[in-house]
Amino acid sequence: MSITVDLDHRPPLAFYLSVGLVAGSIIALQIGIMRVFSVGSWAHFGSLVVSLAMFGFGLTSAVMCVGKSWFERHWIGSVKGALLAFGPLMVVCNLAAQQVPFNAIFLISDPMQKWRLFANFVLYFLPFLAGALYLGVIFLKAQKTFNRVYFADLVGSGLCGLTVLLAMYAWRPDDLIMAPLLLWLAGGILWFVALGDRRGTAAIVVVAILSAAVHHLAPQLLSVPKLAVSDYKGVSYARKFPDAVRVYERASPFGYIEVYSSSYLHFAPGQSDNAAFNLKKMPSNAYLGLYIDSEGPAGIIKDLPADETAYFKYLPMYYPYLLKKDPKTFVVQFGGGISTAVALKSGSSQVTVAEGNPALLTAFREDKFLRDFTGDILNNPKVNVVDYDGRLYVAHTKNRYDVIDLSLADSAGLSSPGGFSIVEKYSYSREAMSAYMRALTPGGVLSVTLWNKEEPPKSVLKLYATMAAAARDVDGGKDIAQKFYVVSSYLSTATVLYKRDGFSPAEIELLNAHTKAMSFDEIYYPGFKVDTADLKQILQDYRDQFFFAGQAVDPTAPAETEPNDKPPPGVSTGGAPGATEAKVDGPPPAPVVPATVLGRLAWHYLLEGGWQKVADEYVFDTRILTNHQPYFAAYIKVPDLLKFTDRLELVQDEWGYLLLWATLGIATVFALTLVLFPVVFGWRTIFSRYPGKAGTMLYFLCLGLGYIIVEVGMISHFILALSNATVSASVLITGMLVFSGMGSFFSERFLDRARSFMPKVFLAIFAILATYAFTIDYALDWIGTLPYALRILLCLLIVFPPAFLMGFPMPTAMTMLGRLGKDHMFLWAWGINGCFSVIGAALVPIVATSFGLPAVVLVGAFAYLIALPAFFSVIMPLQPRATGGARSAVA
Amino acid sequence: MKRRTFVSGSVALAAGALAAPAIAATIKPYSWDLNPPMDSRENFIAWGKARGEDPVFLGQRWDRFQALIKNKDIWGQATMRAFLLTPREEFSAISPAIAKRAYEHAFLDIGYGVTMSGPHVQGRMTNVIDVKRGEKVLEIGTGSGVQSAYIANLTENAYTIEIIAPLAQRTRGLYDKLIDKGYTEFKHIKAKTADGFYGWEEAGPFDKIIVTCGIDHVPPPLLQQLKSGGLMVIPVGPPGAQRVLKVTKTQAADGSITTSREDIYGGKIVPFVPFTKLEGDKIVGTHNR
Repeated sequence: MSITVDLDHRPPLAFYLSVGLVAGSIIALQIGIMRVFSVGSWAHFGSLVVSLAMFGFGLTSAVMCVGKSWFERHWIGSVKGALLAFGPLMVVCNLAAQQVPFNAIFLISDPMQKWRLFANFVLYFLPFLAGALYLGVIFLKAQKTFNRVYFADLVGSGLCGLTVLLAMYAWRPDDLIMAPLLLWLAGGILWFVALGDRRGTAAIVVVAILSAAVHHLAPQLLSVPKLAVSDYKGVSYARKFPDAVRVYERASPFGYIEVYSSSYLHFAPGQSDNAAFNLKKMPSNAYLGLYIDSEGPAGIIKDLPADETAYFKYLPMYYPYLLKKDPKTFVVQFGGGISTAVALKSGSSQVTVAEGNPALLTAFREDKFLRDFTGDILNNPKVNVVDYDGRLYVAHTKNRYDVIDLSLADSAGLSSPGGFSIVEKYSYSREAMSAYMRALTPGGVLSVTLWNKEEPPKSVLKLYATMAAAARDVDGGKDIAQKFYVVSSYLSTATVLYKRDGFSPAEIELLNAHTKAMSFDEIYYPGFKVDTADLKQILQDYRDQFFFAGQAVDPTAPAETEPNDKPPPGVSTGGAPGATEAKVDGPPPAPVVPATVLGRLAWHYLLEGGWQKVADEYVFDTRILTNHQPYFAAYIKVPDLLKFTDRLELVQDEWGYLLLWATLGIATVFALTLVLFPVVFGWRTIFSRYPGKAGTMLYFLCLGLGYIIVEVGMISHFILALSNATVSASVLITGMLVFSGMGSFFSERFLDRARSFMPKVFLAIFAILATYAFTIDYALDWIGTLPYALRILLCLLIVFPPAFLMGFPMPTAMTMLGRLGKDHMFLWAWGINGCFSVIGAALVPIVATSFGLPAVVLVGAFAYLIALPAFFSVIMPLQPRATGGARSAVA
Repeated sequence: MKRRTFVSGSVALAAGALAAPAIAATIKPYSWDLNPPMDSRENFIAWGKARGEDPVFLGQRWDRFQALIKNKDIWGQATMRAFLLTPREEFSAISPAIAKRAYEHAFLDIGYGVTMSGPHVQGRMTNVIDVKRGEKVLEIGTGSGVQSAYIANLTENAYTIEIIAPLAQRTRGLYDKLIDKGYTEFKHIKAKTADGFYGWEEAGPFDKIIVTCGIDHVPPPLLQQLKSGGLMVIPVGPPGAQRVLKVTKTQAADGSITTSREDIYGGKIVPFVPFTKLEGDKIVGTHNR
């Protein structure tokens, strides 16, 4: 085999293309695995597995650093081996991982589950290890032209990220792995072409065909799943219904959408129990179940005659229609369409409905079955459709509405086994609430309904505090006590009504009568009195529910302070069977539950002042949602984190958040181990002559942390304009990497004056990021109202300046290391960068939930500022081997 | 201790598997007069052994029983008796992965996306609905069958509905096998495969209803089939961290019907007490330490 490639000077175009495609294949594999986890189990475990798998780069760096000379001697074989292994490994490991699914909800109770999780980690680690080995060896060989190789790496990764986004239209999640496989094949062929290695070319084609065959045929032949969907995902239950039929299926970047039909599906979210005794009939066979990435169901409501929709009156979302006749209504989120159906059947003269997920609009507008089933609801003459986020539309429209509805936009319920991942809920932020309130006509009503299935209450307290804060923003801090009406149903739903010009006594009377008729609990209305004496005990009891240190209480024993306390419900009081059936005179007083009382107290202190003190003493974090912290998550207060470690089963819905901390902890230990391994191993040998080790480590640590923190943080930020996490991630990944790649390429011409030029770059990066941290959401808010293609274009434009400059520091420093002959440090630096990227990615959601998204970008900005002085350690020349000699000149 | 449990448990399982094809009544048949001793572990095991049960599982049952009492998860005599008479190990035996874990404080995966709740939650649920002999109790979501097994020790009229057909068949088959074996109390259980949303109208009205499946509203047919003054309990939330909602139906003198919702502890917030791990007959620490 003849080697025609000269990596030190003029590598051929095929070489750069190969690097770009294989690097792109690694990104594509990451995205593909994330999709597999989203659909099969839970996305946040996908993040964990993928994050940790990226340590493949750290491990490769550590090993290559120690065995550098071996890799230099066997570099062709190493690259060939890594390339030929990468494709088959991604297919086989993915398939194998599907055969050892782990279940998040048994992670604590079943000792086997953590081994399954470990197996998933190891299996997904292997392909990344092969990919990292390919890149590592090439970087080592091409260190003198690192800027260009790095350019190919970044641009390839970026463009392939976008390719995967498009591939999501072509392949379902279970076949999406074909995208990285094809990219790998193309990259592999180009590599062997660059080397003029025909046998290698033939080999990789054969291996690729075999890999694709294994992916497509092995599951059938072996009767094993290609993508194992957990039995505990919503769609798995639907699939078990005897008469279940999938009536719609579509894969796209906006999620894998499935719609099932079954007589076993029933939807009436939050319906009053009293419907049972007052309604002639509930409709049957009237629903379809909508599942996105196997999560759901969200109910799709059949177009029904009036007598079958009488039950709408028993839903909490019906409240505003008690006050408003023939209203002009705005529905913030279409979802499965129930709010729109209720608005139409409740007499709305016109309904404007927004939906930020274009795939859902396509389904309801174009699929014949869904159109027939829903009475073609989106083409109803009374319905106007806004094809982007409702909160963005409302913030910029001049239209005003009598009713604005934001109801239960989150499918069947808040309780999800496996915990919630940290998801941005911009529709519920203080800014969004203010926008809804401002878009009301003078007598208009905003109605927000949320699941109230948590005990102790968490989400609803955040909602209450957010809406009160928004009302103060809108009304200029004036008295807002007349403007709210709040009801809830225990372990069901909570509804907050806000009326722009306040509720009249007659309206309050009407609403109270309805609340009573529904057996809902009154939480607040103007004039509502609450006994604040209960507060202290409730706060203490809720804390004790998790951290009680004494003896178990006897539920049958009367409490000391309540000598006549009744025994626990259901315990006989000595009467004969049936004694409890005795009819009472008039309805008995509604039982009082602490969660309900706490809701009442919350409104008292929110309106009268003093809520902050209550919130400080409450066991969970109830800070409001803002565009900077748009999370219904992370309720555990940071100081309490360690106290929960031996009672995790009590906060299972917080596991998604706790997993972030676990990821950060594991990532930190791994990263430090991998980074320090070569140092300890070669302290007296390979590193002995290298000056500025600490500074160099700090430099690449800052770059690794800074780059990923800005990238991931901006993904969350840009959802404000792009409305969808997957699209935002793709746009940001592509934009950041491609522009940084261009920066990398461009940086080559400043190498000779790096010492004076780079400080300016760092200062510029810092200045831009610091400015973005506090201003970007205003720009994104406006961009979000534009046509989608223009939105993407403008987002890319915003990304360009920092991303371009952030492409300078890494290749400049790496090339300097190469030219200074600090070969081991070159590899080590690459590893540090990789390892701290993993830590940075894990750090983002923790900083975001604790301090807000601007803080995330600021952390990134400061990382680049700290890198400025550290840069001078990187460019310290090598100490001469003999003592007393002159320092070698900088190359 | 663990190893011995494992070995004898395995032997018992292997023996059970070998004996499976020809089930003879090896257990002393049920009667309302059966009263397992509650005074000591030895007496209970001796009594259970005489009934024909495995002493290893009897020991585990006793130990968990002590933990339940200590945690105040059960307190009524009838529920205590029901717990001591119910062979949880027979229900967990459907899967080798959980066969030996019946008495752990943990919810277990029984397949089909369904869990078998832990003994503490089931103890509380059973005690709190305080079933009297003769009362009609409907369970929505048969699952593993254990909850109805407890009910069967409290009343002759236990009804249970399962939506997932293969699971319903498996559990019904298990009841029948156990009846053949001598656990004749399971004759008290009427089971069917259907959509639990519609309840069991022909068998109603019911004194108590237990709903053990996820819902976005309480099905109206169930409220209709609940007697006035009756109560319904519904665990809400993820497995392992469930709160139990209690819905009471009341009819006023004027005939109007209302419902009220509350926590099963009637407004008391129950403090967390670290759950127990059993080592021998000692209760130590929390189960996941």
